[in-house]
Amino acid sequence: MENRVKVLAAAASCFCFPAMAGMEIDTVENLQRKQSTYQSLDETFVIQNETYRGQQYSQIYFARLHMMRTLLYSLVTHWKPHVPVCTVLGLEEGKECIIVGTLYKHMKLKPCILDEYSKERSAVPLVKHHNFMHPDDHLVLEDESGRVKLGGTVLSPSVYVTGVVVALHGKETGAGDFMVLDVLEAGLAPQIEPQLKSREDKYVVFISGVSAGSSLSNPLQFQLLVDHITGHLGDEKEQGIAAEIVHVVIAGNSVEIPLGLLNGQNLASKDQSRLSEPVQELDILLTQIAAGVPVDIMPGSNDPANFSLPQQPLNRWLFPGSRAYNTFRSCTNPHCFELDGVRILGTSGQNIDDLKKYSEGRDGLEFMERTLKWRHLAPTTPNTLGCYPFTDRDPFLIESCPHVYFVGNQDKYGTRILKGSEGQLVRLISIPKFCNTGMVVVVSFYMYYIIPGSETIKPELVLQKLLPCTFTCGFMSCICSFLDLEHL
Amino acid sequence: MATTPSNMKGFYKLKKNKSGITKPTSSKKSSLHLVPSLGSDITQLTALISHGSPDLKDYHDNHEELMRQFDINMAYGPCLGMSRLARWERAQRLGLNPPIGFEGLLKAEKVRSECWWDGRI
Repeated sequence: MENRVKVLAAAASCFCFPAMAGMEIDTVENLQRKQSTYQSLDETFVIQNETYRGQQYSQIYFARLHMMRTLLYSLVTHWKPHVPVCTVLGLEEGKECIIVGTLYKHMKLKPCILDEYSKERSAVPLVKHHNFMHPDDHLVLEDESGRVKLGGTVLSPSVYVTGVVVALHGKETGAGDFMVLDVLEAGLAPQIEPQLKSREDKYVVFISGVSAGSSLSNPLQFQLLVDHITGHLGDEKEQGIAAEIVHVVIAGNSVEIPLGLLNGQNLASKDQSRLSEPVQELDILLTQIAAGVPVDIMPGSNDPANFSLPQQPLNRWLFPGSRAYNTFRSCTNPHCFELDGVRILGTSGQNIDDLKKYSEGRDGLEFMERTLKWRHLAPTTPNTLGCYPFTDRDPFLIESCPHVYFVGNQDKYGTRILKGSEGQLVRLISIPKFCNTGMVVVVSFYMYYIIPGSETIKPELVLQKLLPCTFTCGFMSCICSFLDLEHL
Repeated sequence: MATTPSNMKGFYKLKKNKSGITKPTSSKKSSLHLVPSLGSDITQLTALISHGSPDLKDYHDNHEELMRQFDINMAYGPCLGMSRLARWERAQRLGLNPPIGFEGLLKAEKVRSECWWDGRI
């Protein structure tokens, strides 16, 4: 069992404010920031014992298929107990059975490296970058023994992507296709109920897409947010609310290094300083946050970290100021941790952005819901999303359902509660890019007061109170918008 | 000898003298005399002896044959890109119950540590 690390109060965690003008300036109150227990669950995403020995991605696909198939076999016995289970090679024409395998979606418009070498150099129109779907896309199911094309209308190719493991009930047709009659996904993973110990209201702030150093970002906006979090803004009441912020999570794309500098040519000395300025700017602000509240920083697609998932923590030497504080943590992407027993899992957005390119959905939250139901954070890895070639495991499989699931660097804010078939409740949060919207998401961990002898507190009541509020941190409107938080 | 001689030699069993003229046993050098098949070039020959011993020797080793069956077995997943021991350990961890004797063979280095296709593909 990992040790629960009690967050140590950093030196400046209690801050005092001068009394308002007009009152006597002899009483100065100290407001103490609330604390919470923190436990990092990132071990599965850290690449430490893996060595690259020339393996290909077949190993990770095997690990994924095996783990998911074991799970699906146990679910299938309750789903359709009288239908036999067989492998793809064991299919017999006309006989109804259940097969379990990995889906592969054949996409006509998906860019292929071989297109560059095709002999027909016709003027192919530019494919729209945001989505590669086509009405002719079809699904194929594959296991170790073989693959079979899927037919029927039950399984919609626009919903599924390559890499999802499902169980299918159907029968083989004369043409050799498998006509799907019904589909079983793994569903939400089992969830551990949060331990209701605290009686206090606590907040967690999620920011994403700060993009320090970019032309779009306004450093004053971020400074305003930092001032609010550290309690340098507002009157008693607002400082009181700021004192209830127990954790800050920065979900990716915190810097934007000018792309013109990264073309591999030797840099002039003035360009070299331009290269390090965004990170230095970020460090200055992070130091201010870390001095007051625990902060986790995750890498994103634009950050100076490795490209393929799971992204490894940003090097601590990038942040010489912040690393002095034990409240500063550099984390992996995806990031999983527990705060007061509440399990929080999320990514910087690459997994959902890739799903948007290869499938269709109403909004980002629908893609998030699908990943939870498929029990896999990033099913398109390693097909269209870069990933480390693990040999013995697939770290993106979701073993325990989180209570809060967040995705960063999205276009707009969104949230909803997802209910599972076994009573699981997950708060889905789509965090918008801070540099575009000026919005952060504040999640309230309000716990009902437990009166001894009263009825046992139902988890639904607790989790429904995990209300995220949008917090607009505009340059002029910081203080007034804080007062009209949107409760959903 | 059909009759027992009356002298001392009869008390001792006569053994054939092995140091006499015998046919030379096959040595590693003799493999170089293999006639390459039509159309192949020197690289194919080096592949056959890349691990220091010709293929012919492997075929006679029962343990290697067992390991080759382990390599081919689809239940334990792909074999390329992993050492045999790592693949055995993965199979063990995933609950596939690979034959326990193989672990001993691999750790005692009685068989090759890589799968049969390693270096050949």
